[in-house]
Amino acid sequence: MQAKNMQKVSLSQKIGKAFSISLNYIFLIVMALIVLFPFYWMIISSLKSLDEYRMSTPTFWPQVILWSNYLDAFTTANLGRLFINTMIVGLVSTLLSLVITILTAFAFARLEFKGKETLFALLLATMMIPGELFTITNYSTVTSLGWINTYTVLIVPFLVSVFYIYLLRQNFLQIPNELYLAAKVDGTSDWKYLWKVMVPLSLPTLISITILKMMGAWNSYIWPRLVANDEAHRMITNGLRNAFTETSGDVNYPVQMAAVALVSLPLFLVFVFLRKYIMSGVSRSGIKG
Amino acid sequence: MKKLVSMLLLVTMLLSCMTSAFAFEVPAEGYDGSEVTIKFYHTMGSNLTPVLDEYIAEFNKLYPNIKVEYTSVGGYDDVRDQISTEITVGAQPNIAYCYPDHVALYNLAKKVQTLDELIASETVITRADGTTEPLGLTADQKADFIEGYYNEGMQFGDGLMYTMPLSKSTEVLYYNKTFFEANNLQVPTTWDELAAVCAKIKEIDPKSIPLGYDSESNWFITLCEQQNSPYTSAEEPYFLFDNETNRATMKMLREWFQSGYLTTQTLYKAYTSGLFVSTTDVKSYMSIGSSAGAVHQRPQAVDGVYPFEVGIATIPQMNADNKKVISQGPSLCIFKKDNPQEVIASWLFVKYLTTTVEFQAAFSMASGYVPVLKSVADNEVYAEFLASADGGNYISALSAKVCLEQADAYYTSPAFNGSSEARSQVGSLLCSCLTTEGDADAVIEEAFSIAMEECEYAIW
Amino acid sequence: MVESKHQWKAWLYLAPAIALLLVFTVWPIINTVRMAFLENYSGLKAAGGAVFEFGIGNFEKVIKYRRFVSCLKNTVLLCLWTVPISTLLALLIAVALNSIKFLQKALQTVFFLPYVTNSIAIGMVFAAMFNIVGSFYGTENEIIVTAGIINNVIQFFGGEPINWINYGSTYEANMFVMIVYIVWNALPFKILVLLGGLQSINKQYYEAAKVDGTPRRRIFTRITVPLLSPMLAYVIITGFIGGFKEYTSIVGIFGETMGPPDSAGRLNTMVGFIYDALSTNSQGRASAAALILFAIILVVTMINLQVSKKRVHY
Repeated sequence: MQAKNMQKVSLSQKIGKAFSISLNYIFLIVMALIVLFPFYWMIISSLKSLDEYRMSTPTFWPQVILWSNYLDAFTTANLGRLFINTMIVGLVSTLLSLVITILTAFAFARLEFKGKETLFALLLATMMIPGELFTITNYSTVTSLGWINTYTVLIVPFLVSVFYIYLLRQNFLQIPNELYLAAKVDGTSDWKYLWKVMVPLSLPTLISITILKMMGAWNSYIWPRLVANDEAHRMITNGLRNAFTETSGDVNYPVQMAAVALVSLPLFLVFVFLRKYIMSGVSRSGIKG
Repeated sequence: MKKLVSMLLLVTMLLSCMTSAFAFEVPAEGYDGSEVTIKFYHTMGSNLTPVLDEYIAEFNKLYPNIKVEYTSVGGYDDVRDQISTEITVGAQPNIAYCYPDHVALYNLAKKVQTLDELIASETVITRADGTTEPLGLTADQKADFIEGYYNEGMQFGDGLMYTMPLSKSTEVLYYNKTFFEANNLQVPTTWDELAAVCAKIKEIDPKSIPLGYDSESNWFITLCEQQNSPYTSAEEPYFLFDNETNRATMKMLREWFQSGYLTTQTLYKAYTSGLFVSTTDVKSYMSIGSSAGAVHQRPQAVDGVYPFEVGIATIPQMNADNKKVISQGPSLCIFKKDNPQEVIASWLFVKYLTTTVEFQAAFSMASGYVPVLKSVADNEVYAEFLASADGGNYISALSAKVCLEQADAYYTSPAFNGSSEARSQVGSLLCSCLTTEGDADAVIEEAFSIAMEECEYAIW
Repeated sequence: MVESKHQWKAWLYLAPAIALLLVFTVWPIINTVRMAFLENYSGLKAAGGAVFEFGIGNFEKVIKYRRFVSCLKNTVLLCLWTVPISTLLALLIAVALNSIKFLQKALQTVFFLPYVTNSIAIGMVFAAMFNIVGSFYGTENEIIVTAGIINNVIQFFGGEPINWINYGSTYEANMFVMIVYIVWNALPFKILVLLGGLQSINKQYYEAAKVDGTPRRRIFTRITVPLLSPMLAYVIITGFIGGFKEYTSIVGIFGETMGPPDSAGRLNTMVGFIYDALSTNSQGRASAAALILFAIILVVTMINLQVSKKRVHY
């Protein structure tokens, strides 16, 4: 009797559990579809002809797949040039930024000097200030340096990121002090120790920083809009926005969507291959790019 | 000691700068032949830079040591924004394309060189080919300018000359001649006629938007001028556009809009020429835009044949006795520099571009703008160009012709700090008067008061 | 001797960072404060030799300006709508994700996708989805070529198409689109952080609750949320800070007019306001606005920290 009851309870519990699990799945899948819909819409729109796109009853799969939209997008928005510009800025600024971050983080993590704690606290405090506050003055600073419409202006002002320094310093601090002391005894210089021991041990953080920095270049809009808006130095996001607002005719939405897809593609590829690093970097940053 | 000397030098330099802050003192020898590089900002596209290159080369035959470095900055607003930042750090170019509003802005920094002393100078300069020219303008050169254009350089309240006209354009009415003839429509000459034509077009083709107007700001200001209704003033109170006449005008436009007669660049989100040349169902049959943009108002040829012929006419008027059309097109201004030779060299180049008949003709033909010199009309090549005018291949010539026809109706608005804000505000005002839902009078009232408030805020 | 040599070396390591920070961070801070307190400061006028008085006029002018008020209102409204909605949705999704095994990794990846997008690019996709192609919306002469997929869906369920972002559209419709887009954009980061938090909660708590026979809802409110509170506080604070810097997502949807074509600037935000002030050469007012933004972010963060001190259970 009791055993039977037990079974009954566990059966209804089981049904309840199965029910709640399927509810879970339904909820998640519906949400996932909502999240994915814009991507789906972007891709199918990018393959439609303008006439099909403008039909009053939408089609959920293109009647005729028009790959030529991608070619049009590439030429209309001059994407080739924009890709190159963005890559140059992204690569150079990432490289320089890594070097500066490593040096600074090392000094704060391992070296001894007067006012170290105060200086570090001051650095962290600057993170509170909205970037727009700097822009006002930086705009005239770079103008007086003659940097308007150069790659320099897109790279140099953002080489120091207090957040990355903080991230890397924390990582450096986790490396046991004994290693450092042992190296000292061996007569290894600080410089050598930094590059031979600390940097390799902090590789995951450095990769995260690299990706975030590259994504930052890819997504930057406001500053380039202000200081480098000429053909030769325009960045991808600005070019994308411009290409379809300065048009002299009807907006060709399929071509626009193709351009958007092309711009999004590299980010997706990076994401697919380096998901782990992005996620770990992002969860600590709380900022985009 | 050294420090002291350099300090003294600096102080004297500063003092000398201050005394020469307004007028330009022409050095006794004029241009001394020294090597200078002058920076020139413009908005020319790839269709025009070859013309410029050609005439820079010609100019360099006369002045081999003056190197002209030009940059195509983008649009007029980009030129303005870049220069107004560069001025704050003393990095402005030597010469720039400008509109009166821009000069009013640069004048806040007192960085635009007034040209009166240069124009009046009789100092004789020997050129590289052995010939000579006076530094200033000769009486003949002055007289050759179309007077109204030349006087636009002096509209900054102090009677001094700040800019030289380079080329001019105005607004014209483009219409689908094929359609108009097929349906026996008359080209409108007044706004009332225009509304009537729009109504007829709507009957013929209900899916159409009969008229596209590119610049809302121009439309508002032109309607003010045509009715002698106040817009702005160079002295306080600056902003006069909030009045009964203008409200009534906006109400009329709102009714037209709601009857489906028209759209504008902002509402259409692109130049309305795109609608005019469109091959889809929704298209326009009239388009009011810059005379310099004629090639954009021509439909794409299919197998060498244009789908329709374009006609060009003067814009509609309110009052046949008070014809007004806007005067547009770039002028050139010269910026102050510490080195007087740079200023002189800039002036020589500006003078060359604005007074050389061949350049004016070539530039006008390539751009669709009209020249600022009377004698260009006698230039054989240009005369031939005008004679070829038609609504197809030679549409630029046709628009230039229409543009020249109404030269006596040109107006300009006062330029002062705040004039560019007023211009952009009346443009947005017009848009919101057309589209905002609600009671017409209330919507218009609100739109005017917002525009006034914005203008007042922008004065500082 | 060794000490001072070391010191000298440390500064060498720091030199590049400090040099850049002095030019691009420290000087701007000083200069912004200076310009903000000089009456009507303008770089152009300064170049013309004008002298500016010390005062708080810039702050007064900015605060009284209707556009500033509307920018502030937009920013605050967007924060107040998007932060709670996205946090709640993210929490639900994270909890649901945490309770499943099959497909967990795949779904997790899907939910993270919006993060690796360019907010302007995808903004253009959203704009296309909400866009109507046509003219004279809302008048008798309305011409509609394409109503946009969202309106198609509404029509499918028997509703009237809504003018979301075109001219003549209402402020509420515009805001709705922005809220949808910003929430969509904000989800991935929040899900990631919250899921990470959930996975680190000690399983023993749940097992104890199971033994007690605690209902699922009680488990959620009494165990999950309190134990997750540090993470929740973190995503809410960063959400507010990010919300106050909202700008590019609006550019993505509306373009630089920051509003429907006939009502430019209607959806402008604090950040947009600063840039507008900058491009009209009134650096004094731009600086004042930037300092106000800083003050607001500071205050909001302080409040958030205070509240979370009381509520967060470590």
